[in-house]
Amino acid sequence: MASSCSQALRHHVCKSSRILRVHLQKAWPNRSFVLNPAADQQPAVSSPEEEIVIPKKKTWSKEAVLQALASTVNRDPTASDYRFQDDPYLTPKTSSEFKLFSLSQESGRNAAKYFISTYPKYFQKDYAQPHIPCLMPETLEAQIEEVSEAALIERIQMRKVKAAVDLYDQLQQAGTPVSLDVTNQLLDLICFYGDCDPAQENVPEQRNEETEDVQDEPQTKKGRASKASDKLKAAWKENNNAERIFALLSEPNTHSYSALIRGMVKYGAYSKAFSTYTDLLNNQLKADVSTFNALITAAPEVKEKYNEKWELIVDLLKQMAEQKVKPNLLTLNAVLKALRRCGTVGKSQAFPVISEMRALSIDPSLASYNHLLSIFYKPGAPFQGQTDILQEVMNEVSGKSFTPQDPDDAQFFITAVRICLDTKDIEQAYRVHELLGVGENWRLLGNDFQQNIYHARFFSLLCMMENIDVVLKWYRDLVPSVYYPSSNVMRDLLQALDTDNRLDLIPQIWKDLKQLGHGNRQTLVEELLTLMAREKQNQEVQETFAECALDIKKMYDTGDRGKVMMSWTAGSLSDLVSVLLAAQRRQDAWEILKLFKTHNRVPSEELLDKFLTCIKESGDVNQALELVQISAGFCLPGTPKLIQRVQQEFLLSEQQKSMLSDLEIQTFNSD
Amino acid sequence: MATSLVRQTKLLSIVTSQLSSAACFRNIHCTAACLKNRAARIRVAKGDKPVTYEQAYHPHHIGHRKGWLSQHTSNLQGEDGAAERVVEDVFIRRFMYGTFHGCLADEIVIKRRGNLLVICAVMIQKLLPSKFYFLIGYTEELLSHFYKCPVKIEMQTVEEKVVYKYL
Repeated sequence: MASSCSQALRHHVCKSSRILRVHLQKAWPNRSFVLNPAADQQPAVSSPEEEIVIPKKKTWSKEAVLQALASTVNRDPTASDYRFQDDPYLTPKTSSEFKLFSLSQESGRNAAKYFISTYPKYFQKDYAQPHIPCLMPETLEAQIEEVSEAALIERIQMRKVKAAVDLYDQLQQAGTPVSLDVTNQLLDLICFYGDCDPAQENVPEQRNEETEDVQDEPQTKKGRASKASDKLKAAWKENNNAERIFALLSEPNTHSYSALIRGMVKYGAYSKAFSTYTDLLNNQLKADVSTFNALITAAPEVKEKYNEKWELIVDLLKQMAEQKVKPNLLTLNAVLKALRRCGTVGKSQAFPVISEMRALSIDPSLASYNHLLSIFYKPGAPFQGQTDILQEVMNEVSGKSFTPQDPDDAQFFITAVRICLDTKDIEQAYRVHELLGVGENWRLLGNDFQQNIYHARFFSLLCMMENIDVVLKWYRDLVPSVYYPSSNVMRDLLQALDTDNRLDLIPQIWKDLKQLGHGNRQTLVEELLTLMAREKQNQEVQETFAECALDIKKMYDTGDRGKVMMSWTAGSLSDLVSVLLAAQRRQDAWEILKLFKTHNRVPSEELLDKFLTCIKESGDVNQALELVQISAGFCLPGTPKLIQRVQQEFLLSEQQKSMLSDLEIQTFNSD
Repeated sequence: MATSLVRQTKLLSIVTSQLSSAACFRNIHCTAACLKNRAARIRVAKGDKPVTYEQAYHPHHIGHRKGWLSQHTSNLQGEDGAAERVVEDVFIRRFMYGTFHGCLADEIVIKRRGNLLVICAVMIQKLLPSKFYFLIGYTEELLSHFYKCPVKIEMQTVEEKVVYKYL
């Protein structure tokens, strides 16, 4: 019934539309391209090879919807970092608080991990389907006790260097032969860790140097903090276990040599590495690509002159070609890094190297570009006509998303923004910042310390080059959600305000300064006061300045325990008084004037002159006399002039006149 | 006296067996008395006892004036695991009460979204923020490893306990 009904309806609709169409066609004779439905038209003559291609069904990953939703949301500039709780009490406001809170959260996690690994029996019950291995307690002690090869493999996997070496010695003494593979793995372990046990992050008592990078990231990634370098460079000791075990090997193969050479290069025994390489050649063995990479890294250390360094590198590359070893990306990066130390030779050879590697289908990564930029833009050196290299690099790199392939990738953004800062190139800086937003590139910005450096340089460049509206827009975007500026950068911001004549924003900046914890930095505060006192502004602005100045005064007075105390200087006191006078706050200014005496500072004559003018407007004779007495008390040379002014401009009683004349005689006598 | 007791118990057992055989199932109550009309209610007293919103409204107001403190899908038709969720909740509440001792301003709300366990707590600003973060990191890590699912804490702080009225 329903189907017949719908059929009838359809029929009716068709008929009515046909009628309508016929009528319309009659009415508009020549306009046919809109009104004719497709069915009416003759099918166009289709070319015979045009087939309908049904595309293959797309398979979406499980997180595709979530990723699509995430791409619609940008960073919230009013929120703090994702690590922290969304509560005003728990949000960090200064960079030291940021570090403190993230470190305390991390140390809480370490405390929990300690309990979990100490009492694993309470955490064995497995609710999760599928199994989640990272939520199970991890075994920190080796399980297999008897002296065997399996026990050695276990200790190697648990990265226990000393225990593995001891076990190997025991195996040798017992006479059991250890296979070459396992010995190679042992050599790898020893050479990677430089013959000492890696620092255990979860056991607090064994940690001997407190670097914040170790605490921040569980994997021991070396940051550019100054304290991190002493963690790494334990030197390669003579006759250490690696060499000893290597000597015990009857037939060392490529892998053994490779491990030894790479360990030597990592820990600074460069000439030894080259002699080991010659041994390898004498034994008619071939080296593999990582050995060559290590040797190329070591090449600038063993030769002195630029030409010799380059010749050694070319020699190594030729040997690589002879031994039919294909270079990889790390080879390219090693060559470029070595060229950084080759001066002018580096500049001439860098581009040919890159083009040759391109021909071998090795695409440069961000680390290669980083080395390239460092070759051409040495810090502190003057630039002659090299500004287009950064542009070319940015042309290559823009719009691409990079994955981390080399540890030096993380240096790219910092180097690029340093070059932009040095060459004052704001366009390229914007492009660098845009590159950060592409795909996964944000991962390559580095740890918190490096991020701080990047943002500091970027923001300083903005303050220097852009007008104040753009600067403030970026300021509101970056601070304090991503970046907590240091006092130097805030001084740059103040200069930008000064340049663009927006001094009325100073009270707001002062509030931000207080919140960032820079409210007690003497130079910054004095600069603020000077800027406020320099010119006379209009009335409301002057009022805000006065409020701000009084707030600043409070910062000098309160001595919070642990906070750096600021001391008044004559300049800062004078500025404060001028600001208050300009806002007609005579009473407050009078209080401040008394502070000169308490803090042993001498006011200047212009200040007292200004004060007298202000007093004259109100006509308070007693205050004028007190002012003159203060001036006399400081034995200022301008006191007679002041006395004259008072005598001329004020109506004095007899007593006051006599007092003044006494003072005049006094000052005259003391001159 | 003992004999009379023995006789009484014998009588009791006979009575109960007869009763149960007669298909009316009233048994002996062996646990402590948990009266429905006294649970989660703070009785009106002199007028000096401060009481939060959660405590002031009685359980029959849940769904009308109060929300739920524990949100999961085990009580839906065809879903299982309700008892396990209850046990987990009890453990989590005791754990939070002990770890953040004296800092809790109100009951904890536990939400389960998929695999994720979200513990929402309101705290008094009794500790320094760094100490709060230490305890948050510790709790999240420990409970994640214990329950084999990601555990997140969403914390809000107030200056002092928010009093709704005085009973």
